[in-house]
Amino acid sequence: MQQSNRLRPFFENITFDREDNELVLNFGPQHPSAHGQLRLMLHLQQEQITKAHPDIGYLHRGMEKMAENMIYNEFMPTTDRMDYIASSSNNYGFALAVEKLIGLDVPRRAKVIRMLLLEVNRLMSHLFWLATTALDIGAMTVFLYAFREREYLMDLVEDYCGARLTHAAIRIGGVPLDLPDNFMADLRKFLDKLPENIKDYEDLLDKNRVWLMRMENVGVISKEMALSWGCSGIMLRASGVEWDIRKEEPYELYDEVEFNVPVSDKGDNYARYKLYMAEMRESAKILYQVIDMYEGTSTELMAHAPQYISAPKLDIMTQNYALMQHFVLVTQGMRPPVGEVYIPTESPKGELGYYINSQGGPYPYRLKLRAPSFWHTGILTDLLPGHYIPDVVSIIGTTNIVFGEVDR
Amino acid sequence: MRAYTPKDDVQKKSYYTDRFWVAPQVAKSEVSDDAVFAADLAAIKAKFDVLDAYIQVEQMVVVINANDNYSVLEFLKNECEYTQLSEMSAIDWLATEGKFEIFYQMLSMAKRKRVRIKCKIDEKEAIQSVEKLFRSADWSEREMYDMFGVVVNNHPFMKRILMPEDWEGFPLRKTYPLQGDEFAAWYEVDKIFGKEAREIIGPENRDPARIDRYDTQRFSRLGHEVPFGTDISQGEPDTPLVYQEKEGVFMVEKFDAEKSVVISDRQR
Amino acid sequence: MAQHQVNYLKDGGLPVALTTIDKVVNWGRSNSIWALTYGLACCGIEMMASGASRYDFDRFGTIFRASPRQAELMVVAGTLTKKHAEFIRRLYDQMTEPKWVISMGSCANTGGMFNTYATVQGVDRVIPVDLYLPGCAPRPETLQYAVMMLQQKIRKESASRAQKPKRLM
Repeated sequence: MQQSNRLRPFFENITFDREDNELVLNFGPQHPSAHGQLRLMLHLQQEQITKAHPDIGYLHRGMEKMAENMIYNEFMPTTDRMDYIASSSNNYGFALAVEKLIGLDVPRRAKVIRMLLLEVNRLMSHLFWLATTALDIGAMTVFLYAFREREYLMDLVEDYCGARLTHAAIRIGGVPLDLPDNFMADLRKFLDKLPENIKDYEDLLDKNRVWLMRMENVGVISKEMALSWGCSGIMLRASGVEWDIRKEEPYELYDEVEFNVPVSDKGDNYARYKLYMAEMRESAKILYQVIDMYEGTSTELMAHAPQYISAPKLDIMTQNYALMQHFVLVTQGMRPPVGEVYIPTESPKGELGYYINSQGGPYPYRLKLRAPSFWHTGILTDLLPGHYIPDVVSIIGTTNIVFGEVDR
Repeated sequence: MRAYTPKDDVQKKSYYTDRFWVAPQVAKSEVSDDAVFAADLAAIKAKFDVLDAYIQVEQMVVVINANDNYSVLEFLKNECEYTQLSEMSAIDWLATEGKFEIFYQMLSMAKRKRVRIKCKIDEKEAIQSVEKLFRSADWSEREMYDMFGVVVNNHPFMKRILMPEDWEGFPLRKTYPLQGDEFAAWYEVDKIFGKEAREIIGPENRDPARIDRYDTQRFSRLGHEVPFGTDISQGEPDTPLVYQEKEGVFMVEKFDAEKSVVISDRQR
Repeated sequence: MAQHQVNYLKDGGLPVALTTIDKVVNWGRSNSIWALTYGLACCGIEMMASGASRYDFDRFGTIFRASPRQAELMVVAGTLTKKHAEFIRRLYDQMTEPKWVISMGSCANTGGMFNTYATVQGVDRVIPVDLYLPGCAPRPETLQYAVMMLQQKIRKESASRAQKPKRLM
């Protein structure tokens, strides 16, 4: 039974019938290959795009406003929902920014566990990227294969923190839990199989004619364009700029592990695809090293700073003062010093930065989330003109944008 | 009598602060401590007014006049190798000073340094666009306008970006409540069904802690499902967890747990 | 001419099943629920996972379709914002009868943790919902359970009578 409502065809002052043979195509906001809620207004000359106008904000949930009304620890689960494909990396960026603000140092075991989570999340994100991009271009098999591997990683994270997607597995000042017993063995088992799996994907895609047609020399981003648009991560490295924050401004234990930063100077979709595959191998390399680091670290998981961080659970349950401190920190929240901080981290998508302006209260005065995908969406304005309609999907695919992050 | 709540900042406030609480400060150090920053600052100082400069958490902060913003950023880009504008936005200080603070977060890949340029403008004042220097500012400035209402001059497309075109109010201002004003509360109803439908649909439930265990319209009951709108105040019917009707389903075979293979090793 | 006479009373019976139209129609409807992909946010990823290799939604006859005109189930997976609200209504209107809606996740049910100016506080303010699925984000198993509950609901419906108008205008 259909009831009528007020909605009428609505085209935002765009005339679809034009005399100059130009066609206006509305793409989205709900399109299966728009990776969420991207809306594109494409002006077409036959099949060629002459003007592209991305419209975002369909997933704007007001996270920055929420942050101004929440104590710092309360905001942690909200960061999960930003880049929901690799949520621990968002948790980590926020935790690191607050730690820098209050000047905390994290115990070594917590650092090792954070590194594990970050790299597992990177693998998850890259596998997801591969799955969806391949699905968009028509390679259903790769989608099924990549999701199979991704599920194993999700099992690992689930063993650690109990959640599949929205982990909230990192706290300000450390991590809440130690690793479960079988974690390292399972991870090693997965990593041993990973090269075979990556080879499977590459065998399916590398020389595939359809894949090559949609990838090679499509969506070329020049170095100047990438820098000017504030690109980061793989979008930047595919255009010939060697810049990985893990290498250049190392945080956690990234200065202690060996890994390479794959770079390409082609700047097209295929270069980005190759970099994603190479980064997965590098992540596996890092993970092997981090597994060895875990042995022999002391069992401390949270930094000791009673003014900001609650004591361990055992102390809270047994010692009076720790319980009082915990009560104050939970009900009123920690009060970081007055000041501001901008901390960039290398999330799987690119440079994820948190700008926090604290006025000494329990709520941040201003929190700005610098999400890489925001500018990776913006670059479509300049990138799409000149391309053909079938290329749009593959270009959106390789920019690897997530709308929880773009709109926040 | 109701307690007075200031209208110029309606964000959440701490309900208790110690009378003698003095907030500590994040350490600031002199720019001369770092040779690279000192050279950059000297170069900027030679051409422009610098109101304040210091290093905080390994990054240099330079406060400049608002009308210099384009030329300072141009200078930094061309002369000092700060090739990327990684972030820019505004901070609302209208309640205390009546000004917006605008910050530009710059990155130099050659020097591996980050600099934050800040300036302040009045509420009604506009700022010069830096979109010609950095294309990334195109969207950032639009977002700033959308969220704060800061108008940017010489911008090619000064329109809202995150909120709908017909939105009223600037959400990130301190005067804007977290849960929105009346316009926001009825936005989707007005747009889809019209204002006359407001009474039928009813106001939003904005209380996240509200739980009514007898309300079968708004609360889902996992494992105890009852049909929509059933009255269960007199006790609810016992609904065991079943995936199919007891007597079986027409032409659909029932799942047999004993015959199926259970995989215990997930990475088999 | 017919040379082989089949003795239907002995050899396995007549190849005819007697049933009601309701049962046949509902059997068809409930075992081939084609869902419209409506991944809005995080829950959309779990919706994809339930369609992918481990959870394999196809065995329920649930296939994700990209066009509303080929779909009869809308799984609203994720946060619905005020900017998006009119589009969900537009797509709901485009779906053919009979149609059902599963609201997946806390954000779609009530607005969830995003109690802000920009989110619709529950999709049932805009479209009628048949099944609410709690969780943030619900696991794929939960979504599959929800689809099974929906199948039960469909089997109870009468196919010949006109659909009852659902809640909401």
